Amino acid sequence: MLLVGALLALALRSNRASAAAAITSQAVATVLMLGTVVPILGGGTPFEVTWEWPRPVESMAFRVDALGAFFLVWSLPMTLLGTLYAVGYLQPYFARGRHGGPHFALLNMVSASFVLIYSVQNALAFLLGWEIAAVAAWLLVIWDYRNQKIRFAGFNYLVSTHVGLFVLVAAFMLLHSKTDSMDFRAFGNFLEKPSRARGTIFILLGVAFALKSAFFPFHTWLPRAHAAAPAEVSALMSGVIHKAGLFAFLRFTLLMGRPDEWMGWTVLAFGALSAFFGVLYTSTQRDLKRLLGYSSTENVGIAAMGFGVGYLGWTWGIPALAVGGFAGGLLHLLNHAFFKCLLFYAAGSVYHATHTVDIERLGGLAKRLPYTANLFLLGGLAIAGLPPLNGFISEFVIYSGLLSGRAPTSQSNVALVAAAVALAFVGAVSALSMTRAFGHTFLGTARDASVHDGDEAPTSMLIPMLLHGLGVVILGLAPELGIALISAALKLFPFAPATIDILTPLTPIVWASRLLAGVLLVAGILAWQRGKRARQSVTWGCGYTAATPRVQYTGSSFTEPFARIFEAFLPSVRRERLPEGVFPQAESHLSTHHVDPVERRIFEVLGQGEDLVVQASERIPEQPHFAFAAGLIVLIVIGVLVSGGVSP
Amino acid sequence: MMLARLLNIVALLVMPFVLIGVINRVKSLWSGRKGPPILQSAYDVARLLRKSPVYSTTTTPLFRIAPYVFLVTAVGTSAVVPLLGSAPLFAFPFDFVWLAYAWGLGRVAIMLAALDTGSPFEGMGASREATFATLIEPALFLVAGSLCLLTGTHTLHEALVPHINSAAEIVAWAASIVALLIVLQVETARMPIDDPTTHLELTMIHEAMVLDHSGPDLAAIQVGTAIKFFAGASFVATLMNPWAGSNTLRCAVMNLALCILIAVAIGSIESLIARFKLRSVPQYIVVALSSGVVALLATTWRIDGGP
Repeated sequence: MLLVGALLALALRSNRASAAAAITSQAVATVLMLGTVVPILGGGTPFEVTWEWPRPVESMAFRVDALGAFFLVWSLPMTLLGTLYAVGYLQPYFARGRHGGPHFALLNMVSASFVLIYSVQNALAFLLGWEIAAVAAWLLVIWDYRNQKIRFAGFNYLVSTHVGLFVLVAAFMLLHSKTDSMDFRAFGNFLEKPSRARGTIFILLGVAFALKSAFFPFHTWLPRAHAAAPAEVSALMSGVIHKAGLFAFLRFTLLMGRPDEWMGWTVLAFGALSAFFGVLYTSTQRDLKRLLGYSSTENVGIAAMGFGVGYLGWTWGIPALAVGGFAGGLLHLLNHAFFKCLLFYAAGSVYHATHTVDIERLGGLAKRLPYTANLFLLGGLAIAGLPPLNGFISEFVIYSGLLSGRAPTSQSNVALVAAAVALAFVGAVSALSMTRAFGHTFLGTARDASVHDGDEAPTSMLIPMLLHGLGVVILGLAPELGIALISAALKLFPFAPATIDILTPLTPIVWASRLLAGVLLVAGILAWQRGKRARQSVTWGCGYTAATPRVQYTGSSFTEPFARIFEAFLPSVRRERLPEGVFPQAESHLSTHHVDPVERRIFEVLGQGEDLVVQASERIPEQPHFAFAAGLIVLIVIGVLVSGGVSP
Repeated sequence: MMLARLLNIVALLVMPFVLIGVINRVKSLWSGRKGPPILQSAYDVARLLRKSPVYSTTTTPLFRIAPYVFLVTAVGTSAVVPLLGSAPLFAFPFDFVWLAYAWGLGRVAIMLAALDTGSPFEGMGASREATFATLIEPALFLVAGSLCLLTGTHTLHEALVPHINSAAEIVAWAASIVALLIVLQVETARMPIDDPTTHLELTMIHEAMVLDHSGPDLAAIQVGTAIKFFAGASFVATLMNPWAGSNTLRCAVMNLALCILIAVAIGSIESLIARFKLRSVPQYIVVALSSGVVALLATTWRIDGGP
């Protein structure tokens, strides 16, 4: 159905017709999918089909279990909303005679790849779906292909995602060599038994999926791609497509069975690291969409922290901890899909109106774009994990796992509390970043008069935003709905008790949130009504009456104290000529720019790698110690590789 | 039970003003003045309530709503704080996470209102507040987490009941008190982090953010800050209260007396030392963070059968 829609979208000449073809086909596919998936989520039997194919695929099994169903149930509708958004967002391009058919066709292909990835039981077919999603996303990113920067960002993404693919293929080949099959069930039978290859495969798969989901330090392609792509593509990539990495991680977790303890700690540490660095980078970005891109790295990190707790609970045989961890992680994924898409759509609406997303040049947009402003605020508060919205609920579930004090040793308890402290830091920095982003984009007065003076977004852009905003509020005030979606998936885990009760411990916090929401609503309406009749005057300027918008605090000045504390992690490039003397004559200027340290390091190594190796090799004859150390390292690496390959 | 709740509510209504009054009285006495009446801040609030607010033309409705968001979160969070040393109005597992995040919501509301005016002073205040908050929040979770591990409980009022039977517990207890006192100073904008009585905008933090608020809006912010001070002082008071956790009158009286003592201490600190340079404030907060780390590490010591 989706493929037919894609073909139609390509074939039809007019933009309107191809958009209609894409939307209709996706809508029909969504309805069909919901019909299959909802009973599964309600606890029904999984949906299975097996096709016999010639070699090398052999029998290809499709099996939609509760985990796949959980991911499908929001991925397809969100892609549909993204397609609807594209109709409004790309209007200016259509007006200039650009044909949107391929774009809509690619969105359909993304939807189709979800169906494939979330249901197949065969490694080759899985790789096929994985590739369709990757290549479609790349082609979607370079919509504006005439711009060299955007082509570079797209190429960067394409290379990164294929590095991930190589690692994934390596893992699958290793599994194939052990099991002589490409079927996931055969993989599972092998992985359940303890073996030396199990750890290797876990790490290979982890790296591949981390690249897909943009975990630190594999995130470098992400901010570029998100800044370059049209808003709906950024939203879908960040909120929906990259969740495939985490889905695959969970799928293999299920196949692998009870994990070793080090795996749990690795996932937890990796998640915490990702959340920590992701959120640090959000604090200094000038580009609204780059900022949101880094925030994806942060949020997948938070979800992975939940999964880490789940792993540990599973290893230790503590169902409450395991259920809490996995439930928190899954819930956070769902929540993130809602508020991240919302934020990207709102950023797209800012771009639509002003033709820029540079925080330093914007300001005062709340008056011109009231819907966009309110929805962005909603998403920002939710992503910072503030009550009473949905981000708070999932972070609360993860906290309740981390702080439960149920771990077997006191050292591991302390480590879990330390992770909770890291999460608290992440939450506070996220609040800083979102205050900064919203405050400088939408509040105050416009900072740059040369910015385009556009209007509020058209309805086709506002509808997806409103629906996502509604989701953020509903999942915050009625988390029963979110939990209903994940509880069937949780029952797949063998540790799960017959009845999973996540809701009872949540009840007080949910009521507290509802109460808070109610009181805030009443207080807000009262304050607003009363304020309408109040006297007005100018902002107090300390007696100075000729203040211009240029005196306002900027995004860079807002984070300056914070960036100074974390200078070690947030390197900045300063270009300055400061005024000298009592009466400075020469013109002076100052500009600061924060770069991604990981990416800079990668480019350094790529650009000067040969020189580095040559330098090192030149030193060997002079320094025998150095040569000895280098030789030892090479020997160790070879030894590890050989033992990994030889082991049963 | 009903009586305890009633007393809690009465304390919540009266004590914030008393504590602010005590601080101001102590500061006056140190500087050789007679000082305003203890309930002066309540009179100020009553006066502000009679005034009508003035709004900047730059602002959006957000500016008008923000003070009440702040007030509501301050009241809402103090419901889980053991104001009288024992059972609070409401308690549920991990209620301190709720407290920290609802405080966060109030803070974000005030910061956004500050940015809404487009004033450079208020942007500056918001920037500083946000920066310090990122350091204070981990300190709060370090203390809460270690107290939870130490007591084996998950609610704030149970975790705050002092356990000082072994050396490790005493270390953790003392470190928690140090950390919570610093959290109190930062969260309620007291010296040596922020000078609530300064007249120079460039040195302000909290006061800079509320320059443009007037009338009832300003009153809401002042009451909210006072309530937060009472809540923060109650943390420390409960930790020091020998009868904490028992639902008795002497426990309640002791807790309130300790709160007043803390207010006296804070007032004395404000009179005796000057505000830190803004660049050294993070170092002061790091003291809170390291105390929290000490408390957390001490918990391993105890559970593993140390001294």
